[in-house]
Amino acid sequence: MESFFALAHGVTVALQPMNLLFALVGVLLGTAVGVLPGIGPALTVALLLPITFKLDPGGSIIMFAGIYYGGMYGGSTTAILINTPGESASMATALEGNKMAKAGRGGPALATSAIGSFVAGTIATLGLAFLAPTLVELAVQFGPEDYFALMCVAFVTVSATFGDSPVRGLTSLFVGLALGLVGIDKLTGQARLTFGVPELLDGVEVTTLAVGLFAVGEALYVASRRHIQEEVLEPVRGSLWMTKEDWKRSWKPWLRGTLFGFPIGALPAGGAEIPTFLSYSAEKRLTKYPEEFGKGAIEGVAGPEAANNASAAGTLVPLLALGLPTSATAAMMLAGFQQYGLNPGPLLFAERPELVWGLIASLFIANTMLLVLNLPLVGLWVKLLAIPQPWLYAGILVFATMGTIAAKPSVVELTMLGVFGVLGFLMRRFDYPIAPVVVGLILGPIAEAQLRRALSISLGDPMILLQSPISATLLGIAVIALILPFMLKGLNRFKMQED
Amino acid sequence: MTTPNPRRVDKPGLLIALALLVLAGLIWQDMSSLQLSSVYGLGPKAMPMVVSIGLAILAVGNAVSAFRGELPERESLRWTPILLIIGGLALLIAFVEFNVGFIPATAVLFACTSAAFGRRAFIIDLVIGLVAGLVIYLLFAKLLTLSLPMGPLERLIGA
Amino acid sequence: MSHYRKGLWRGMLAAAAVAGFVTTASAQMAELKIMAPAAPGGGWDQTARSMQQALTQSGLVKSVQVTNVPGAGGSIGIAQFVNGAKGAGDQLMVMGYVMVGALLTNKSPVTLDQTTPIARLTGEYEAIVVPANSPIKNAKDLAAAVKADPAKVTWAGGSAGGVDHIAAALFAKAVGADPTKINYIPFSGGGESLAAILGGKVTAGIAGYGEFESQIKAGKLRLIGLTTPAGKGTAEMPSLKDQGVDLEIANWRAVVAPPGITAEQKKALSDTIDKLVKSKEWQEILQQKGWDDAYQSGDAFAKFLTDDQVRTKEVLTSVGLVKS
Repeated sequence: MESFFALAHGVTVALQPMNLLFALVGVLLGTAVGVLPGIGPALTVALLLPITFKLDPGGSIIMFAGIYYGGMYGGSTTAILINTPGESASMATALEGNKMAKAGRGGPALATSAIGSFVAGTIATLGLAFLAPTLVELAVQFGPEDYFALMCVAFVTVSATFGDSPVRGLTSLFVGLALGLVGIDKLTGQARLTFGVPELLDGVEVTTLAVGLFAVGEALYVASRRHIQEEVLEPVRGSLWMTKEDWKRSWKPWLRGTLFGFPIGALPAGGAEIPTFLSYSAEKRLTKYPEEFGKGAIEGVAGPEAANNASAAGTLVPLLALGLPTSATAAMMLAGFQQYGLNPGPLLFAERPELVWGLIASLFIANTMLLVLNLPLVGLWVKLLAIPQPWLYAGILVFATMGTIAAKPSVVELTMLGVFGVLGFLMRRFDYPIAPVVVGLILGPIAEAQLRRALSISLGDPMILLQSPISATLLGIAVIALILPFMLKGLNRFKMQED
Repeated sequence: MTTPNPRRVDKPGLLIALALLVLAGLIWQDMSSLQLSSVYGLGPKAMPMVVSIGLAILAVGNAVSAFRGELPERESLRWTPILLIIGGLALLIAFVEFNVGFIPATAVLFACTSAAFGRRAFIIDLVIGLVAGLVIYLLFAKLLTLSLPMGPLERLIGA
Repeated sequence: MSHYRKGLWRGMLAAAAVAGFVTTASAQMAELKIMAPAAPGGGWDQTARSMQQALTQSGLVKSVQVTNVPGAGGSIGIAQFVNGAKGAGDQLMVMGYVMVGALLTNKSPVTLDQTTPIARLTGEYEAIVVPANSPIKNAKDLAAAVKADPAKVTWAGGSAGGVDHIAAALFAKAVGADPTKINYIPFSGGGESLAAILGGKVTAGIAGYGEFESQIKAGKLRLIGLTTPAGKGTAEMPSLKDQGVDLEIANWRAVVAPPGITAEQKKALSDTIDKLVKSKEWQEILQQKGWDDAYQSGDAFAKFLTDDQVRTKEVLTSVGLVKS
């Protein structure tokens, strides 16, 4: 009950006209940078810190919250419209979302993404307000072995993005794993596969790979076959708005996405990518329209988008409750807090309740503001697709390279973008699925590092993976998820023979 | 999936298999040159080994499907647009490397890509690209104080 | 090389001696470029941008531009700085202890000896903590545990070869255990290692004091000791040295100038930094960010930099992270 009063008070703080203005500036800025690949909310907050220094703490933290949520929206808008995920967590959205946009269903895709983000953001922010202390106790119980087991679950579900040939799907995945090896080995500090190029020491940037494979690769592919099939984009075919059918197909994925996103986001090493993949593959398995997946299924947009936003709120759980910055953006928000001599952590709730609840309330307001701003814009956004094709693709490439230049102004990075573009083109031409490459790059290094940490703690005893109840459960789920499809297939065959 | 000519060996498919094999070898070679190992638990060589072996197996798998001619059919393609886009990217990289500046680099990429998609108004597109580059530059370099590549044009604005 | 550097130090000694007296005479600098060899947001970037803020607000420099060259613990930034800014008297690069180790482990062809040392600005001592419910109560307990079996004492800290890792190795060495046998587990990012410590997944944690401060105050972590000099400890902030563990180390940040600048250019830069450190604006920033003033310039800093490089190489070699 106490929390309710505190939250209500927080809302009155956040609703002050000045703070509303800060929230508005925040969501606008966040959306603007979110659409740019490579420039995320973290970088924006970092760059704005010195500017906001003069503002009062409440106002600027509210603005940061707006940037944070706004960035999520922006990232998915470009993923849907121009197949350029603004950040790695929007990759799953691009898979189905862009297909929908090309089929003239960009409007519903954007709408389900916006409403799904709102629903997930709201539920997750409620979770943040009321469950943070409990959740965080559970989250710190997650050891390296448990993270490794979680990665195993994620790896198993990746097969949902494989397409129809397991060999080609696995090939893509292993190319991604190979790319994940590049750089300094986290546990011994040695360089692997860097060939003496210092820029490679930090490894392959996920956004560079994703933008190269998705955006540049697609531009090359479409350009190369223009003479065969002129790509005609109709911005709107059917309804601009979500139909009753769309609503019916969206609401469950929204909720399921939230359930994936919030808890995993709250884990100190959980991140936003894994829940989006999990949500995507869950929706693919549960859908009544499996034939639409890969061609623009609305569930494939609704689920991952909700997961993405819910995980953003989840990340704030360890930040506010423990002072643990578990993502780049959270680290910047921590720096923002510290700028005013505030230390997030167990004491912040007790010492400065008005700030914490003000922040949580402003997350609600930022979320609502984004919905109100974005829904009317859907019509405008899809008009982007009506831009003549040469300019549209030229713009996409300018976008893609600009993000890379701004984030890491190096020739090596730009060359990688080009090489990944060519790779993406070849993979499209020879019908290799693209998403597993990015998945491999994201999951591979985490899985490796966590397994090695676990084994270092256990002095090399692999039984640690089974002794931890969390890890044992997750590994069990992974095994079931791996075997179940085969068993079901066998069962079906059996049944057919019966008939 | 039905293939019209299942007996025909797919040459590009074999090339892909070969490329995977080369990649596997490269990873193996790099792995064996690692000097330091972890004191406890798994060392830095385990993962490269797994990936390398996996890639080698997949190379065989891909080769088998190439021999069976199982790869999906491909349509003819035109090289000019591809070269135009890659050329635009190469010019952009060169412009960044040789300090020609962000705005001209953006303009060239824009115009090249647009040409790749069949537009014949290179000069007009170049101007559009310049304006777009200028707007982006002002937004990022001035508003967010990001350090974008500087050339003569950018210095002129900066001064 | 060493001959050249000796000459440099002598020049700097002179510069430092003069700098103390001639302050107001030198005019305001028109332009200064500060490179942060890291992405926006990290410690070096924050230092660079704080300098920018203080320098312009106090009117010491008319226009300050911060550039970011991220990558590999600063290895990429320093390469670009040494090669690209040679002889430029209006450029500085922020660096720190982490770079010393990173250049060694990354086998960087460019070294700090090629730069012109200007001044050390801030420092932060390392803290060793254990979970609140740990049987280890003080440095003596931890020392005994490490000595008994270094494998069983797991340390959570930052990247391999970084200051946390070095401090853990030095701890083992100081208590008479084999530093190559420490079970150090590097985590990416402070949040992840803090979670592992709080969750009791590791025996002890090591990082800059600031990362643990609020957890210690909330009673979730027990502070075993700080790597402060002897006699500097208090009841709440015990020093390891006072507890009989000979370990003193600080994670410092400093600025260096490009190679090949003239003595006048160096003096101008040193003077500007000297005035910056004494400015009200800078002192305010130090307080807000919780950074300790560790100002040291001229000769003393150049010697410090060389000494720390030698010591770091020794430690990293003894842990097996650098092959000699």
